[in-house]
Amino acid sequence: MNLLPLVMRATVALLPTSSADEGGHWAFQPLRAESGSSIDRLVTRDLSTHRLSTAPRAAPDRLLRRVHLLLTGLPPSPAELSTFRADSSPERYAAVVDDLLARPGFGERWARHWLDLARYADTSGLHQDTHRPHAWRYRDYVIASFNQDKPYGRFIREQIAGDLLAPRDANSWIATGFCRTGPSNEANIGAAELKAYRLDQLDGILSTVSSVFLGQTIGCARCHDHKTDPFTAGDYYSLLSVFNNTADAFVSLEGEAPGAPKLFSPKARKAPKIPTGSGIRALGTLPESQRKVTRILERGDVNSPGEAVVAGVPVVLRGIPAKFSRTEPSARLALADWIASTENPLTWRVMANRVWQHLFGRGLVGTPSNLGVSGSPPTHPALLDHLAIVLRDSDGRIKPLIREICLSHAFQQDSAYRKSAHASDPANHLYWRFPKHRLEAEVIRDSILSSSGKLNRKMGGSGIKPRIPSEIITQSMRNQWPRVKTETATHWRRSVYIYLKRQLPMPLMELLDAPDSSESCALRFESTTPTQALALLNDAFVNEQAGHAVERARREKPDAPAQRLMELTWARAPSAAELAKARAFLEKPEITLVDLGVVLFNSSPFVYVD
Amino acid sequence: MWTSRRRFLQSAGVGFGSLALTDLLVADGGPAPHHPARVDSVIFLFMYGGPSQVDTFDPKPALNEWAGKTIPAYRKEDSFFTNETKPTAFPSPYSFQQYGQSGMWISEKYPHLSKHADKLCVIRGMHADSNNHGPALTQMNSGFILQGHPSMGSWLNYGLGTATRNLPGYVVLLDKRGAPVNGNLNWSNGFMPAAYQGVPFRPTGVPIVNLANPDGVSDSQQRARLEMIREFNEDYARADPAESALEARIASYELAARMQTNAPEVTDLSSEPAFIKQAYGLEQDTTADFGRNCLLARRLVERGVRMVQLYSGGNRGPEEAWDAHKKLVENHDRQCAQTDQPIAALLQDLEQRGLLDRTLVVWGGEFGRMPTQQGSAGRDHNPFGFTMWLAGGGVRPGITYGETDEFGYRAVKDKVHVHDLHATILHLLGIDHEQLTFRHKSRNFRLTDVYGEVVKEIIS
Repeated sequence: MNLLPLVMRATVALLPTSSADEGGHWAFQPLRAESGSSIDRLVTRDLSTHRLSTAPRAAPDRLLRRVHLLLTGLPPSPAELSTFRADSSPERYAAVVDDLLARPGFGERWARHWLDLARYADTSGLHQDTHRPHAWRYRDYVIASFNQDKPYGRFIREQIAGDLLAPRDANSWIATGFCRTGPSNEANIGAAELKAYRLDQLDGILSTVSSVFLGQTIGCARCHDHKTDPFTAGDYYSLLSVFNNTADAFVSLEGEAPGAPKLFSPKARKAPKIPTGSGIRALGTLPESQRKVTRILERGDVNSPGEAVVAGVPVVLRGIPAKFSRTEPSARLALADWIASTENPLTWRVMANRVWQHLFGRGLVGTPSNLGVSGSPPTHPALLDHLAIVLRDSDGRIKPLIREICLSHAFQQDSAYRKSAHASDPANHLYWRFPKHRLEAEVIRDSILSSSGKLNRKMGGSGIKPRIPSEIITQSMRNQWPRVKTETATHWRRSVYIYLKRQLPMPLMELLDAPDSSESCALRFESTTPTQALALLNDAFVNEQAGHAVERARREKPDAPAQRLMELTWARAPSAAELAKARAFLEKPEITLVDLGVVLFNSSPFVYVD
Repeated sequence: MWTSRRRFLQSAGVGFGSLALTDLLVADGGPAPHHPARVDSVIFLFMYGGPSQVDTFDPKPALNEWAGKTIPAYRKEDSFFTNETKPTAFPSPYSFQQYGQSGMWISEKYPHLSKHADKLCVIRGMHADSNNHGPALTQMNSGFILQGHPSMGSWLNYGLGTATRNLPGYVVLLDKRGAPVNGNLNWSNGFMPAAYQGVPFRPTGVPIVNLANPDGVSDSQQRARLEMIREFNEDYARADPAESALEARIASYELAARMQTNAPEVTDLSSEPAFIKQAYGLEQDTTADFGRNCLLARRLVERGVRMVQLYSGGNRGPEEAWDAHKKLVENHDRQCAQTDQPIAALLQDLEQRGLLDRTLVVWGGEFGRMPTQQGSAGRDHNPFGFTMWLAGGGVRPGITYGETDEFGYRAVKDKVHVHDLHATILHLLGIDHEQLTFRHKSRNFRLTDVYGEVVKEIIS
């Protein structure tokens, strides 16, 4: 429900350089370490070329709120703020970063970034929007993986080939949910369309794998050799063949070890009834007798099969050493190993860039799932390689990389506007200040619950279904959303646990640009619309939580509840002028503290991280 | 008020230029309109489930001759219910007559609409790519069979901007029997920002969710809240003149307030004279619901809404829409009766107000139906040949264009694919379908993918 957006902010995409002759493209080159490099040295180097410098360190309140929101998705408590105000030394700050990285909230926050990429949802979408009773296990697997700081190489291998890697480990099967979480329509597909449908499903896996892990848009070569990217239809179908003999598998998790996978034939028109008991929908391999040869399809047409292909990586990337098995299913494991290899520069650059993006609001490469020839070049190539090497050399663990970035001055610097710096670098490409940006839908909702004191910290399990206005429930008749009259603690869990129904996402989330899970989403929009304003102003959730926040403020500071309310929502001490404005507001007829609460939830200082 | 903000407000909401003016990045759409527009808005009367062409606008006497006999056109793999659909011809139970100066053939089930035969441009050679509701709806709405692409209303608003400050540019009016399959995906913004999504309106009361003040909050209280929000947001924005998104947030609350004040007026039909309500059939149970939506559609385009999509048919089951698998007569008797008078009234009302020249009315479903028999008295899905019609500005009135074979099974002459229809609709709105692109995943996407040709023969 929207009007024309007033603003759509997307990362400024620089014009692609097409200097890359095959193999010469920057992203395909090995990672290059510069001796003695550090984040600050590399950032400062570019700034000083333009006679610019970074800003001073941000004030303690601002810095603490920033690092809390970006690492855990929740604001600091008033107590945490006052502790940090008393001692915000670099040592104390480093301890805060370590503490945040160790909190379960870290995995909940960073898993959400990954779920955007995986196009995670709890329903099939398309025609029936069928409930997927076990989808949440994959979401919980991702949360746990980030919390455990699982080596990225391992994380990749589990998601592409977990079933082959460790068939006795339930988590390993669950991980392949990455390949199974896209939209599907098995329950309702016409006989004539079955072949094309199956190709679309495989294409969904292939496009997601290649864009998420490698930052390459190989999916575009489905119909013909690509105009800009150096990929051929042969490359596409060679990669496709890696997945061509996989099938949906149901794996029971009732016993101590995962049960034998029950494979569903890709030829069946009706989807198999997946048992609702404890088990998961995963990726399995067809028995040898059912496997088939993969052929190039002329113009991507399933009725025009051409030359047969064998499993392999794209020709242009063959400089990256691969021990490629051409037989299945080991080809899938070989692909996973090749992607996860320390010698694959794409893998580490892509992930390092994503980490930077989630801390600064934008990547060093503005097209985070496209480091190919048609993508944007990096603003700081040496810095990107530095980060990629840090990631790769810490055994692929992400927390050390995040720690290093958070401890840099570039991250800790203030976000304030400076006229002269702005004049030389209006888009702040060079990081002369920390880039403020609007918070994501989930962080806004979670921050509301955190301020009101009602956030339920229960982790994991099947998705929650908070109240959505009953009049819009009939907009999706299949697998209907329940009518919730009154929300209770069971609904007030973190937004990463909201049941994602593809046909009817929660309006508040959708309006604040949560992705629709049709396709992998590497960069969310930051749109500003009147309907967003209407939702934040008038939605029952916001108004009720404002009431709870007021109760909490009264309880915690009976003599200055307005001030406390501002501390709870803005996660900083309000200025005298701001307090005076709030007091004047409260003197108006009809106006109570609850109105102030709603106002604060709608205010820019609340929805922005700066 | 600061000058930059005023400039921003002046520029908001009037198309391509406005977004560029604020130097806020939008994916490259290119300048529009590309050529003078023939119409400003589209009313899409979506007959969900798939109306039967051979029982509405494409009479096939051959079906009588072949009744009960296997027709040569039949192929088993074309059907959706492969085990129930028979290869034998199933003649239309309805009689057809020619109407108007044009001699347009229309079935007896459209006694009201047939009076407007000379306004219709009937396309008999439609074809689409899926014989399944979900993908076929997705294609009719977005050009693609898979979900995830923006729907036509999103493209129109992206390309042309909105002409109203108080209403969304893309409104969806649902059947009271609920949304069709795919739900919200049918009016999805796909990979465009959420702002371009279709907004379902409730037919009565407050039309949009969250438009009304929260329970117990008075208008003066709400005004005070808005003032306080503005003060805090201005403080925050003033400290950072480089961040224009902050100014946009301030403006978004002003627009929200204006919507709160003005939008409810559109669903309040009390100002409509009795004869209008009567014409749309608001006083009879059969026509009241679709009639109200047709009247709302007129009120919406009158107020500058770019695209209104009305659904006839909900998703409680095949017999709640045009999906006549079992009892064709019962189904089409009901669906035609519910929509005939309201559609006729809409055409007449638009004409009398001088709006028909600037509005394009589109009628049709996601596909048509088989001329063969399913079960004892039904028809299966048919995307290979079906009928849609257009009426309004820029369209040649009183013509039929294209043909299906002698059975109405397959389009054979002057075929019009869904992509061609989309290209033609965009053309009438002043947009070159090959030039209107949205950059996504480093590729320029179009409503028409890499296909589509404007059907010049039907343009006046």
